Amino acid sequence: MTRYLRLLAIFFRTEVQFELAYRVNFIAELFSLVMIVATSVAAVLVLFVYTPTMNGWTLAQMLVLLGVFYIVQGIGELAFTPSFERFMEHVRMGTLDFILLKPASSQFLVSLRHFRISSVGQVALGLGVVGAGLIQIAATISLADVVSFAVALACGLVLVYTLLLVLSTLAFWFVRVENLLVVYQAFLDAARFPVDIYPGWLRVTLSTVIPIGVAVTVPAQAVAGKLEPAGLASIVAVAVAAWLFAGWFWRFGLRSYTGASA
Amino acid sequence: MIRAYRALLVAGFQNASQYRLSLFLYVFFSVLRPIIFLAAWVAVANARGGTVGSFSAADFATYYIALTVVLHLALSWNAYEFEFQVRQGRLSPLLLRPLHPIHYAVVENIVWKLFTVVALIPVLALTAVTFGVHLTAQPWHYALFVPSLLLGAALRFLFGWVVAASAFWITRVSSVSTFFDRIQFIFAGQIAPLALLPGALQTIAYALPFAYMFGVPADILRGATTFEQTLLFLVVQAAWVAATYLALQVVWRAGLREYSAVGA
Repeated sequence: MTRYLRLLAIFFRTEVQFELAYRVNFIAELFSLVMIVATSVAAVLVLFVYTPTMNGWTLAQMLVLLGVFYIVQGIGELAFTPSFERFMEHVRMGTLDFILLKPASSQFLVSLRHFRISSVGQVALGLGVVGAGLIQIAATISLADVVSFAVALACGLVLVYTLLLVLSTLAFWFVRVENLLVVYQAFLDAARFPVDIYPGWLRVTLSTVIPIGVAVTVPAQAVAGKLEPAGLASIVAVAVAAWLFAGWFWRFGLRSYTGASA
Repeated sequence: MIRAYRALLVAGFQNASQYRLSLFLYVFFSVLRPIIFLAAWVAVANARGGTVGSFSAADFATYYIALTVVLHLALSWNAYEFEFQVRQGRLSPLLLRPLHPIHYAVVENIVWKLFTVVALIPVLALTAVTFGVHLTAQPWHYALFVPSLLLGAALRFLFGWVVAASAFWITRVSSVSTFFDRIQFIFAGQIAPLALLPGALQTIAYALPFAYMFGVPADILRGATTFEQTLLFLVVQAAWVAATYLALQVVWRAGLREYSAVGA
């Protein structure tokens, strides 16, 4: 375990050094992030011009949800997608061989090798939006809410990670699967609003088949005081099941990998 | 010119048909996106007892279905590829060819749209079944929608090239295009139908070019405009297309002088 943490620290440091070589680009990306988050907040404000609550969510609670959305998406962009994008490239080019030969878990090496450092800015902006919402409802939050928020958020991140791992593993059979990441992006994008506003079939998809909607909604529910203990228990159960399935699916897929010259 | 286009179209179709499945997936999931704001507006309408302004839930569905069609047919994304070509010096061989590089982009866009329009049908049908539709368009709406869509697509295409041409000076265009994409996100009718943008935002939306790319053709397609309004919109669209075309001429000439290729 400590070995993996040390590896993670090394990977992260090299990526920071790489990013710092292109400082102007880094600042330009931060500017883009501010633009994206600001316009999304504006979109929510436009909706709330016409109503004080949306499906029982007040503006303050909705801001918390939007902030959680940017935190979850930001961590996905920071830690998960850069590595999975490169992994698909490795499968297509046959260079995955070099990773499989290394003396560490292959799942670890393909999923946490690269980082997009500028996405730290997105997580920070997400925290800012959560804060803007929390100021208005802070009085109603208990310690238990904070704990269940942390647990739900961790489960949400597990769900994001496992979905990406499963989609990437499909590369072993279909080779060209970059477009599959669009599935992740489109469904995660739907998570910018609470899952309960969606029509039946989409709500069911977002909370069971591709449980990405709940990855954002449930943590936000925890802070908004809308989360029942049963809701928390079910996201923990779903996250554990997704983790076990994705790990099994990865090992299963790996057996189909044929290498470059085969 | 026509022969060049025909050859490029054939090559484009052959190229695209290699990756049918991934193209189909890509479109299927990227057109899911308009449902997000549709669902949000329906939730707002329900909270108010059924309507927002003149919009019922079915009106929102009709608007966002129309917008999905328009976005799909009028959206183009040159800036990202063009930046790459300039940065890597790959523009040089294209400049030596007898055809202006913009024509390759025109063909690429046409091929992509024709190829993927099939994927739209199930998505739109699903949306219509889920949320209902409320058709109020007259036959002349459909007739005038066609030029409006073409003008919107031309405006978006030319505007994209003006932004892309900034690659001659700054080599990293993606931040600039994100900036305009997000302005467009607010003002083109994506977060809300133009009629529901509050106060000053609506005034700004009609003063900027973005609404004339997507929101205006979508409003015509769903039959929300009077005949006089429609004609006025077409005139304004044409004026924006002309202005953007002139801007592109100026920017492109100045930019080519700036372009030094790699290693020069």
